[in-house]
Amino acid sequence: MTAVSRTVSGGAGMQVRVRLVLLAALPALLLLLVVFAYPIVQTVQLSLSEWRGFGPMEWTGLDNYADVLSSDAFWDALRNTVVFALGATICIVAAALLLAVAATRGQRFDPAFRAIWFLPAIVPGTAAAVFWSISVQPQSGVVNAVLGFLGLGNGHAWLASPETALWVIVGVAAWTSTAFPFLLLAGAIDRVPAEVYEAARIDGAGDAQQFWYFTIPLIRPVLTMVVALQLIWNFNAFTLVWAMTKGGPAGSTTILPVLLYQEGFKNGDFGTAAAMGVISSALLIALGAVTLRGSASRAAGE
Amino acid sequence: MSAARVSNGAWTALKLGITALVILPFVFILLLSFRSMADIYRNPLGFTGNWVPGNFVRAWNGPPGGTGFSNYFVNSVLVVLVAVVIAALFGALAAYFVSLLPARWRSRVLMIPLIATIVPTIALLIPFFQMFSAWGLMNSPVAVGVLYAGLCLPMTVLILHAFFVDFPGELREAAALDGLGHVRTFFTIVVPLSKPSLLAVSLLNLIWVWGETQVAIVLLQKATSQTIPVGVLTFQSSFMSDLGPIFAGLSLATVPVLIVYFVFNKTISRGVSMGGTFR
Repeated sequence: MTAVSRTVSGGAGMQVRVRLVLLAALPALLLLLVVFAYPIVQTVQLSLSEWRGFGPMEWTGLDNYADVLSSDAFWDALRNTVVFALGATICIVAAALLLAVAATRGQRFDPAFRAIWFLPAIVPGTAAAVFWSISVQPQSGVVNAVLGFLGLGNGHAWLASPETALWVIVGVAAWTSTAFPFLLLAGAIDRVPAEVYEAARIDGAGDAQQFWYFTIPLIRPVLTMVVALQLIWNFNAFTLVWAMTKGGPAGSTTILPVLLYQEGFKNGDFGTAAAMGVISSALLIALGAVTLRGSASRAAGE
Repeated sequence: MSAARVSNGAWTALKLGITALVILPFVFILLLSFRSMADIYRNPLGFTGNWVPGNFVRAWNGPPGGTGFSNYFVNSVLVVLVAVVIAALFGALAAYFVSLLPARWRSRVLMIPLIATIVPTIALLIPFFQMFSAWGLMNSPVAVGVLYAGLCLPMTVLILHAFFVDFPGELREAAALDGLGHVRTFFTIVVPLSKPSLLAVSLLNLIWVWGETQVAIVLLQKATSQTIPVGVLTFQSSFMSDLGPIFAGLSLATVPVLIVYFVFNKTISRGVSMGGTFR
């Protein structure tokens, strides 16, 4: 029982009993175990079984994976997911950068702009989705009314057309999700020392040059993290899609989280859904690990 | 000099444009919730026609035979309270005591919440459903609140740990000289002095929980157990094309968090800059 009386000297030169730390962290650890560790193991196990929502699970080996990988629906959804995640991430990060630069020019009212521009982040996702899907309806929608007012026609059925539906949701994602990375990037730009810009100006660098050659490299660690997190979240953007189109029209907005939800909770085929969850999580975690590791090693190298 | 003034003017114009794009949806939601369906269909941009505060009554009570916001509201408040309190308590305890460990140990322990933040919800959703059915917790807002606390914990621990690491050691040493143990020190000295950070993290958790849909839609299937974000969807399908009550519902979903934000926006943006993220 050496562990019981084992002490380590803490950061502030204090003696802490390891057992005490364990005890204090125990509630959090248990909750993380129930909410993350056990479900992950269970998803993997389910993906190797047949389960219809009740009763015992039946071991079926890799059958679910074979089903998933040979179904067109999966590959269509994967393509939609990649298009959506890339499109939304590019729009969001570009908009967030633009807003961050605009709000850090030291002009009057910049703090007020910052406070206001964060607003979309606090709106429940489904509320934003319902508002925008009503707004892009033909005739009665605000967006179409404005387009009609501008002489561009007010009859566009943006969400009913397979060509445009996904891009409408990308636009709504940009409206709801730019605020957060904007605030993070503005904070990073704030921390760039003023001398850097003074030196750049003395060297004759214009606004655009300062941005590309000084601001971007200096905020790169935050920028990389923002890009990685946006890719992961937009890959998983269930809420907006489900609230706006439920995956339609003609499957054109069915991204993987929507397909998984339909397969599991609508069709009752939880094993297949779990296999989709495992495949997409593996893709995502690989993506997240690569990007975040890249940013960590670059930060360490600098 | 004049070129600089022109470019300042262009930036100001851009900033006003962005502000309009951000604010107009809120304005429309509020205005349209006071208008009648016929007027909205006639001209969504016009502000003529009858003033219909009754939309809010219908949204609050729900459609005939259905559930309304009176119900969703109580569930949302319940879920938020349970989640925010548990996440703050468990998170602060874990983060503070981990922050007392030597740096080498800390970085290893913190890998646990760090990895948890990149686990996507789709990898967890079906087992949540299994666990809740097996334990008889389906349609229980309190149980969903506990689950949300767990989903909030990784970020809560990371942010609070970053704060506690910089907690002045002298204060702890003074407490130790006064004969206070670590646990007493935590509750009587550390927690009171950390209120601003605890508040910042809790507000971020509140905003996330208030809008969470993907888990709630699976675990809260009975209308009487649903939270506001799911209720908004149920509403949309039960009121169909009657836009007045739907917009009133959107107002009721949005205004509470707007008020929280207007009161606490400084604290919330500090929380974000402390590294807070929404899932």
